[in-house]
Amino acid sequence: MLGRWLVGLLFVYLGLNKALHPDLFLKLVRQYELVSNPYLLNAIAAALPWFEVFCGLLLLAGVAVRGSALLLLLMLGVFTPLVLKRALAIAAAKALPLCLVKFDCGCGTGEVFACNKLVENCLLMVFSAWLLTGRGRRLCACFSPFRAAGKSPET
Amino acid sequence: MRKILLEGLLVAAIGVTLAFVANALSPRGLKLNRDYFHLSLQAQSVATNLSLKAAGAGTNSPAELLAARLKAFGLQLVDSNRVAQLFNDPRRQADLLIFIDARDEDDYQQGHIPAAFEFYDAYRDKYLATVGEACRLAQQIVVYCHGGDECDDSLHAALTLRDLAGVRKEDLFVYGGGFTEWCTNGLPVEVGGRKSGQLLDHKK
Repeated sequence: MLGRWLVGLLFVYLGLNKALHPDLFLKLVRQYELVSNPYLLNAIAAALPWFEVFCGLLLLAGVAVRGSALLLLLMLGVFTPLVLKRALAIAAAKALPLCLVKFDCGCGTGEVFACNKLVENCLLMVFSAWLLTGRGRRLCACFSPFRAAGKSPET
Repeated sequence: MRKILLEGLLVAAIGVTLAFVANALSPRGLKLNRDYFHLSLQAQSVATNLSLKAAGAGTNSPAELLAARLKAFGLQLVDSNRVAQLFNDPRRQADLLIFIDARDEDDYQQGHIPAAFEFYDAYRDKYLATVGEACRLAQQIVVYCHGGDECDDSLHAALTLRDLAGVRKEDLFVYGGGFTEWCTNGLPVEVGGRKSGQLLDHKK
């Protein structure tokens, strides 16, 4: 339960940091060179931070926990390799060991050491996977739109 | 498992919808239909830089690469010596020669070239009327940001002024070294608003 709240709070915090400065987040997303279409780039930078806040709030409230956890796991599964790829590119360009690379990955925490961020993301993925199993739902609103009537929340 | 997937899809659908609504309502929200980085023009610049690197086999300096990149966009680069001359030009007192600070609002307030106009391109609607009018009256316009070949803000601001404010490209210059170089050279820095009169003491 405490872990669910912590992860929820973390995503709300990280999401808000980006949502309140979408211009800076847009520049960071662009640096990943994922998309060249300006409108798609804008859509990603505009929606992603608020979407993280939404998922974080759902985790805090205990609403649709497993669905939110699934989405967070998917996002982390996509972003973490991208962060690694970018860190490796910076390491190659500056002739630095990977773990000495410090850059703003667009995660909402400003500049971070690459290795620290990768470890953090892996831990978040593990915890999201754990939430996916249906655990950590004490003191939750325990609402899931697809829970069959009469079954307990844990099944 | 199927229920989890369906739940995830529902959360995604609602979340994305709410996210776009939040962006639309936020005063700092992004305009979805705007090309913030002039990406449609970027190909020219990339091609120029690639051909420069091929020709120079890695010997091109950052300044040369920046100059080539600006040239690809039809813009002119000025160096620190020229900028210092322009700053001391008497036309600046009458706003016939103006400086435009293309960095974000916080950076501008913390310090800028004295009497420089604030023009953060990401939120240009806020500044376009005032700065556009000043540009129409000016004979020369120098745009700057932090500096270095990684700083794009001055490039985007210059392109906006050229395309939306009708500034002639012959009158428009980009200061490559930017505010970082300006401060390194110990030149005057004004804090607060434009023409606030509060100058920063570099010696402190």
